[in-house]
Amino acid sequence: MKQRAVRNLRLCTKDCLCLYVCPVGAADTENSIIDTEKCTGCGMCAQACPSGAISMVPEEYPPQQPKAEKVTAAAFALAESKARQETMARQIAENADSDGLYRLMTAMAKSIRLVNEDILRESGYMLPQSGNAHALLRRMAEEPPSAQFPSEAAKRLLKLIPCNEKEG
Amino acid sequence: MKYVCSVCGYIFDEVKEGKPFSGLPEVWACPWCGAAKAAFVPEKAAAEKQEPAAPVYLDEDMEQLSPGVLSALCSNLARGCEKQYKDEESALFLQLADFFASAVPAVPDAGTEKLAELIECDLKSGYPLLRSEAAAEGDRGTLRICTWGEKVTNILNSLMLRYRAEGDAFLQNTQIWVCTVCGFIYVGSNPPELCPVCKVPAWKFEKVEGRTSA
Ligand code: SF4
Ligand code: SF4
Repeated sequence: MKQRAVRNLRLCTKDCLCLYVCPVGAADTENSIIDTEKCTGCGMCAQACPSGAISMVPEEYPPQQPKAEKVTAAAFALAESKARQETMARQIAENADSDGLYRLMTAMAKSIRLVNEDILRESGYMLPQSGNAHALLRRMAEEPPSAQFPSEAAKRLLKLIPCNEKEG
Repeated sequence: MKYVCSVCGYIFDEVKEGKPFSGLPEVWACPWCGAAKAAFVPEKAAAEKQEPAAPVYLDEDMEQLSPGVLSALCSNLARGCEKQYKDEESALFLQLADFFASAVPAVPDAGTEKLAELIECDLKSGYPLLRSEAAAEGDRGTLRICTWGEKVTNILNSLMLRYRAEGDAFLQNTQIWVCTVCGFIYVGSNPPELCPVCKVPAWKFEKVEGRTSA
């Protein structure tokens, strides 16, 4: 599988081995971001790095497992409930007159959003490269849901992210 | 008899503790994760809990996702991009997520009581239904998120119970922490060493700040 090296700048100590082992000099850049044009994906740098700062990322992802409709129907129903809860928690926080309630509701809104992201990830939206994600972006770009909708963002995403499935 | 915390698995052993579980005060909370007494189940029942929920077939129109769900869907894809080190793409998905968040209509009757009801409803029917559908299809990914999601929802339920019983007294002079990986909420001066739900270390917890005084 084709892959490329990506350096995690938070872990990198910026002083060492990947620069020496890279056969094409892709790791030696001024901004510390590995040069994707040069990188051949050989993986030497990742093996040499003492800080575990380099990951080899696949260039193409295999298509997602298809999801059963009954599962996604139940998941989307739960997602709607979570979304409603998140909205309520935010509203209660906004109107709260005590600091305790404000913080509790802010925490809940965050928590509920995280849980909902997991539900949706498992409902066919794991990969931004998936046919589902592309179909959604295309619909948004073609029929913007409102005049304020940032259509340009959706269009740019369609351009930046390749689709790894036949679009459905 | 032993009682197990449905959030973190802490066991209250009546024999070892030398007192009955039922005798604990209602404000008693799990010493590990802070879940309410109501989140504990007798040990046997915990193992048998798996009875499948009666499936209800929802006529869910996928085209009609609400703005709130679309917002979470886009912020989920932003995370997906982040994990692939695609920063520009991640920022664009967040822009879409923000748009949908701003398009969410206000809930007219928002209040802690209503919120508590919805949370309880997820535990009573939302998760059991999703779990039984996923089990029938052998969908392990969905079963896994049910396990985490249910535990986190349990802690939210506990916190709502406490809030409604005690008001915000239990939140004064202490901090509220959210696990940025699974959403577990912890009340205490410091975050737990490991998240009781997803086991990530303390630094993955985010402190919830109070209102910034204008
Ligand atoms: S994967 Fe190989 S070519 Fe790419 S940066 Fe690392 S050492 Fe260089
Ligand atoms: S070997 Fe690892 S830590 Fe050293 S400069 Fe390269 S990426 Fe950074």
